[in-house]
Amino acid sequence: MARKYIISEFMNTNLITISKTATFKEAVSMMTEKMTNGVIVVDEFQKVAGILSSWDIIQHIVPDYLEEDKHLAAFESGDVFIRRIKEVANTPVTEFMTSKVHKAHPEQSLMAAATILSEFHIRQLPVVDHNDVLIGYLNRTDIKKAIAEILSE
Amino acid sequence: MTFFIAIGIFAIAYAIIISEKIHRTVIALIGASLMIILGVISQEQAIEGVDFNTLGLLIGMMVIVDIAKHSGVFQYVAIWAAKAGKGSPMPIFILLGIITAVFSALLDNVTTVLLMTPVAFVIANNLKLNPKPYLFGTILLSNIGGAATLIGDPPNILIGSAAGLSFNDFIFNMAPASVLIAVATLLILFFWYRKEFVATDESKKAIMRFEPSEAITDKKLLIKSLIVIGLVLFGFFTHGFTHLEAATIALAGAALLLLLTFNEPDHHLQNAEWTTIFFFIGLFVLVVGLEQVGAIYFLAQKLFMITEGNLTMTTIFILWGSAFFSSVVDNIPFVATMIPLVKDIGTISGLALAPLWWALTLGADIGGNATIVGASANLVVSGMAEKEGHKIGFVEYMKVALPLTVVAMVISTIYIYWRYLM
Repeated sequence: MARKYIISEFMNTNLITISKTATFKEAVSMMTEKMTNGVIVVDEFQKVAGILSSWDIIQHIVPDYLEEDKHLAAFESGDVFIRRIKEVANTPVTEFMTSKVHKAHPEQSLMAAATILSEFHIRQLPVVDHNDVLIGYLNRTDIKKAIAEILSE
Repeated sequence: MTFFIAIGIFAIAYAIIISEKIHRTVIALIGASLMIILGVISQEQAIEGVDFNTLGLLIGMMVIVDIAKHSGVFQYVAIWAAKAGKGSPMPIFILLGIITAVFSALLDNVTTVLLMTPVAFVIANNLKLNPKPYLFGTILLSNIGGAATLIGDPPNILIGSAAGLSFNDFIFNMAPASVLIAVATLLILFFWYRKEFVATDESKKAIMRFEPSEAITDKKLLIKSLIVIGLVLFGFFTHGFTHLEAATIALAGAALLLLLTFNEPDHHLQNAEWTTIFFFIGLFVLVVGLEQVGAIYFLAQKLFMITEGNLTMTTIFILWGSAFFSSVVDNIPFVATMIPLVKDIGTISGLALAPLWWALTLGADIGGNATIVGASANLVVSGMAEKEGHKIGFVEYMKVALPLTVVAMVISTIYIYWRYLM
């Protein structure tokens, strides 16, 4: 069968999602368990609410005053790391996820998907149907597979 | 008719700026546009009203500081102070207070607190102490130190530029007052918090392990920044004789630092706080509108009648009035409005204006200390504190700050009376 190189041919449908009501603690334990650096956050109708990456987790535990002034990180007291993690354990994921998410439709071309990934430096592109319901996702590896396939023709 | 249009635009703009419902820059620009569109002033008059010396000085200093702070030089000094305080909470508190005041005299207040608030948190965390005394110290001393020099606080730039007062004029007249108030404030805070400042030997050791040089991320940049800052300060100290405007010196310094660091100018020029610059532009035009229709002259006459043209009365009235207003309103729009008013008082009464300018400076710069919303620096600190779970309550802050502001104003009154009115 001839490939059309559209998103639906290469997307993953084995979805790793987390509910938007989950907490920081739940998100970390789920991501550690599934050994992933990114999960899609969905609402009760399987619609995309955001994306949560390991970056978001790390950024959330860094206090704003250190983000403001990285020169001082070397001097911060060691127990701040533990204290900060305990402080944020119950914050809802909606507070630190990336909520501005670029989405794609299954029938769009891989070029369209690649353009979005490269322009916005994102790792995961959620794929939604016409009711805006999440049906899969496309990551950088998937695009690479498509590239390899063409090169080996 | 234009009289009422101008007053209407100005009053509504001011009210919205105080309410903070819409961003102050947007309101100032809309008000400024309306002044022209509704025929109060022409565009030429609006442009004439914009003080490009103030804008140039602000932009130049913003660019220099934006580049210099990446070297870690300011953090180095702050960490050094913590170590010099031998890890004891009280000496550290005093040293950080002094450093805040000195930084604030050289940088604008918001930049100062953006540098010093993270330091306060890191020090308090290491000492396992409540950060609030350090945060309050940062706010209070940043506003006090800002009064000491021409470049310490934006209102000073406005006043210096409009009244033709040089960098040395400010140092000579305002620095002594600023030092007196800083000493009094630190002493009172010392007694206020002395019981809280207790640290374990272990936390003292944590501070003593600090290696200030770790704060320096770019040694070459550090040297270049210090050279340029030194040259700019030299330029300011001598501009009384060289007759170079402050804006020329600051912008030349910024250009030189860009040249020395071979940095792409795009990034650093973008980092200048354009929102603040446009706020100034909007304000200048709003005030021109008010001046044009004679509203400011009218107010000046009223003030003249109240004080009966007595210099001492007028000066003290301006000092305390400015302190009161800038504890409620941002001191930049307040001072922008007061400048033409003070000039008009001079025209009407023939009084010597110098004491009035110094009263306006001290009142507007230090009055902002009284409440947590009194100055932009206060809001920046309280915003950062709230995110770290140390929300600063309005009353909680005022209990400490209001008495200290009254003390500062009493000192200012005595200082001004003794130096200019006796």
